[in-house]
Amino acid sequence: MTDPSIDTGNTGDAVNAEGLITREQFRRLADLVLKTSEGDQTFLSLHDVSGGTTRFANNQIVQNVNTHRVSLAVTVSFGRQQGTATATDFGEDAIREMVRRATDIARVSPEDPEYMKPLPPQEYVPLKTIQQDTAFAGPEKRIMYAAEAIHRCQAGGLTAAGIVASSVAAVGLAAKTGLFAYEPRTEAKFSVTAISGEASGWAANVHRSIDALGVPARTRVAIHKAKQAAGPREIPPGRYTVILEPSAIACLIAPMIWMMDAKSFYKRTSPYEGKLGRLIMDRRLTLSNQTRHPDLLGNGFNSEGLPAEDLVWIQDGVLKQLRYDRYTAQEHHVHPSPAFDAPYLLGTPLGQDLAATEAAGAEHLAYPSLDELIASTSRGILVTNFWYIREVNPTDMTLTGMTRDGVFLIEDGQITTPLVNFRWHESPFRAFSNVEAFTAPTDAVSNENWKMQLPAMKIADFNFSSVTRF
Amino acid sequence: MIDRDEVVELVLCRIKESGAEYGDVRMVESRSQVIYGEDRRIARVQDSEDSGFGVRVLYRGAWGFASSSVLTAGEVRRVSDLAIAIAKGSNALVNDPVTLCPEPVHVDSVVTSARVDPFSVPLEEKTRLLLETMETLHKQAGIARSSAGLWARRDKKVFASTEGSKLQFDLLAVEGDFEATGVHDGRFASRSFNTPHLRTGYELITDAQFLKEAPRVAAQAVEKVKAPEVTAGRYDLLLDPEHLSLTIHESCGHPSELDRALGYEANYAGTSFLTPDKLGSFRYGSPHINLVADNTEPDTLAATGYDDDGVTCQRWDIIREGIFVGYCTNREVAPKIGHTRSRGSNRADSWGSVPMVRIANIGLEPGRSNVDDMIADIERGIYIEGHGSFSIDQRRYNFQFGGDAFWLIENGKRTHMLRDVIYHGITPEFWGKCDAVADASHRRRFGFITCGKGQPGQSGWMTHAAAHARFRNVSVIPGRAGA
Repeated sequence: MTDPSIDTGNTGDAVNAEGLITREQFRRLADLVLKTSEGDQTFLSLHDVSGGTTRFANNQIVQNVNTHRVSLAVTVSFGRQQGTATATDFGEDAIREMVRRATDIARVSPEDPEYMKPLPPQEYVPLKTIQQDTAFAGPEKRIMYAAEAIHRCQAGGLTAAGIVASSVAAVGLAAKTGLFAYEPRTEAKFSVTAISGEASGWAANVHRSIDALGVPARTRVAIHKAKQAAGPREIPPGRYTVILEPSAIACLIAPMIWMMDAKSFYKRTSPYEGKLGRLIMDRRLTLSNQTRHPDLLGNGFNSEGLPAEDLVWIQDGVLKQLRYDRYTAQEHHVHPSPAFDAPYLLGTPLGQDLAATEAAGAEHLAYPSLDELIASTSRGILVTNFWYIREVNPTDMTLTGMTRDGVFLIEDGQITTPLVNFRWHESPFRAFSNVEAFTAPTDAVSNENWKMQLPAMKIADFNFSSVTRF
Repeated sequence: MIDRDEVVELVLCRIKESGAEYGDVRMVESRSQVIYGEDRRIARVQDSEDSGFGVRVLYRGAWGFASSSVLTAGEVRRVSDLAIAIAKGSNALVNDPVTLCPEPVHVDSVVTSARVDPFSVPLEEKTRLLLETMETLHKQAGIARSSAGLWARRDKKVFASTEGSKLQFDLLAVEGDFEATGVHDGRFASRSFNTPHLRTGYELITDAQFLKEAPRVAAQAVEKVKAPEVTAGRYDLLLDPEHLSLTIHESCGHPSELDRALGYEANYAGTSFLTPDKLGSFRYGSPHINLVADNTEPDTLAATGYDDDGVTCQRWDIIREGIFVGYCTNREVAPKIGHTRSRGSNRADSWGSVPMVRIANIGLEPGRSNVDDMIADIERGIYIEGHGSFSIDQRRYNFQFGGDAFWLIENGKRTHMLRDVIYHGITPEFWGKCDAVADASHRRRFGFITCGKGQPGQSGWMTHAAAHARFRNVSVIPGRAGA
């Protein structure tokens, strides 16, 4: 959890320290762009990011980088004709040239029937999007945490590979309509793979605060997994009861979120066709986004300037909400909801509504722990993480992927044997309809997804289609 | 703003003064244009400029890298000093110091050969082509959605090292594509048309004849969505060159990256079953399989003259007559297996990224067969075109591929389309099932610009060429839930 005493006000101190563009500098930049542009409408967005990644493998640093990239994008429109230009050069002449390029494109582009004028001024509730420890981390702190992970693995007789990353960004939006938004954001990442011969264990976290990543604890988890995973046995593919840890659940939830776009739904090219308002997963599950959650990375506004909004997307297993871009929302007379920041999947006991559960707080409810899920399983497979998840069938959202970094056979309530990795072949609709039990939501990070809070789940009849060689 | 020569001089001077054994600077000015159409409208036209510089320093066997888009003298000094400081800081956590293998000093310039500069073609001409293509697709009954896009990029790059190499590049790349989605009986399916990504001019788009191809693509999208689902079982597969480019990329390209084999990517992209002890002896495929890395073939994405180590692009064998014989390497990892020269496969995706080992232009060498004869010799099989679903494990053994279009082959004849075809296998077993490769007249090239690797992630660029190849007795399953 984040230390609430840390000043997360958007004072711009860290932004200044890294030489990023401050709120006032962005306002002056926006004034220049908007004054220069002849367009009926002009919209600009700033991304000024400074950060670095320390990467280690074979118990040593193999890559250590720091990058400062400041980029500006300008969209100019005349009626329904529009064009966009971007640049990383912020000299006054370069900015005028960028506006000219966007203008030239807009003047000859065909009219876009789905053109939407930039939003008018919005009201934003400040979120704690910046943590000073991350903003001021620099390479020294990243190296320090990398050393901690390496030394712990070495002490355990293992080989470490992983990353420690931190960045601070200034994000700004402005338009001729009067829209203006500016937000500093930090992000820190840690992941470690502990390797013992042919076996590996993995753990990771992403947070606004580098000091909240939990490097020692996560490294201990990876080490424990790697030691447990030594000497895997091959068992035949087939349908098994599985316990998927939160990272693996994230790999199933992420495609569900990506494919929720309303335009595809109304054009009949969505796996959700016929499912709006219907039960699509276990009745105990509710998927929302919680932009203010202290361990998630909610942003104050999206790329068009819509303020952060917490919505319930799937309630008690029923699909309630799609992701509406502004045009599709207008067409269907609903509120636009294009973004899905800070996903949060809460298991609610049957007979108890979401509001009551949220009021109590997940930590106060009687959820089983991961160990208790394992203890309740007579025969099943525990999966740490998935890898290389791809869509197989867009109509029923069948996905495929591999298990990775720790797969274990559970017999009579105990982990008995590490297993050779499986390929799986499953639809999240089907998997989440076969849920038997779940833990409270917790940090869920995987290599190909963004940070979520998700439970570990026990799921019946999960389809492993083949095995690999390790 | 300061000019390129001043940046180079300032950076190299500070690196040399620091006592570092090696350093280089890359300055890149990239311009890209993306035009994207969707459902009969032009949804986005974007002209992007991205410029900056990256400084790489090797200090007592430890790397440091820093980069910035801000081109002022003060920022150049700050970034140079930061790269040096990072290298010195990394030094405390290095147990096997980096030693670069030697490379001659090069002073040269490389320019992409193009008949028509893609940035000189009027935007109206490009948007008209995309709109007419989408209109053509929608003339086919059953088409619900369409998309069409054009992409072009120019990279002007300067590379200079403390060893004295100084290289200048003016590189172009171009691509175009469109797609139609058919809807039938609660299902939907897409059929796509893609030019390869190549280092040529706009002539690539003109020669592709979108408007001529669009009716066929639309008709096949509808036929595909209405086609019967494949029946699970074992089939002979005839894979077309575009499809094979992805199979080669995933199951040969990535495992032949030496940094992966040495564990550098263990935390993310994974390692490789092609470990150094297998070099020269491991049977990867049948004797028909000759996979050659060629970063010298004109127009291909990795043929840039020199890589981002300043090493000359080369041609070498990866698999010779089925035996694993070569890796993709850079100056850092080549000496670790006793090689005295890098293969020149070190590339970064921008000024802001540090270079790393990337897959070369690995292609399947043509054989002697004729495609019609290859089909005639199949009793029960499937002909697969284009790219579809793909997934492979982190050591590149267990893979699964779909495709863009599938036709059933029965008794030596290509019959009707199928849908939801998925084949899977273990890499060396699969390549061992290849019993014929088509001749050079069938050879085609496909480029990739979104090859993900590294933390932070980078997009690698490379081209894979192939002629059709036949694989016997491969396991096929229908791609749907519950199958």
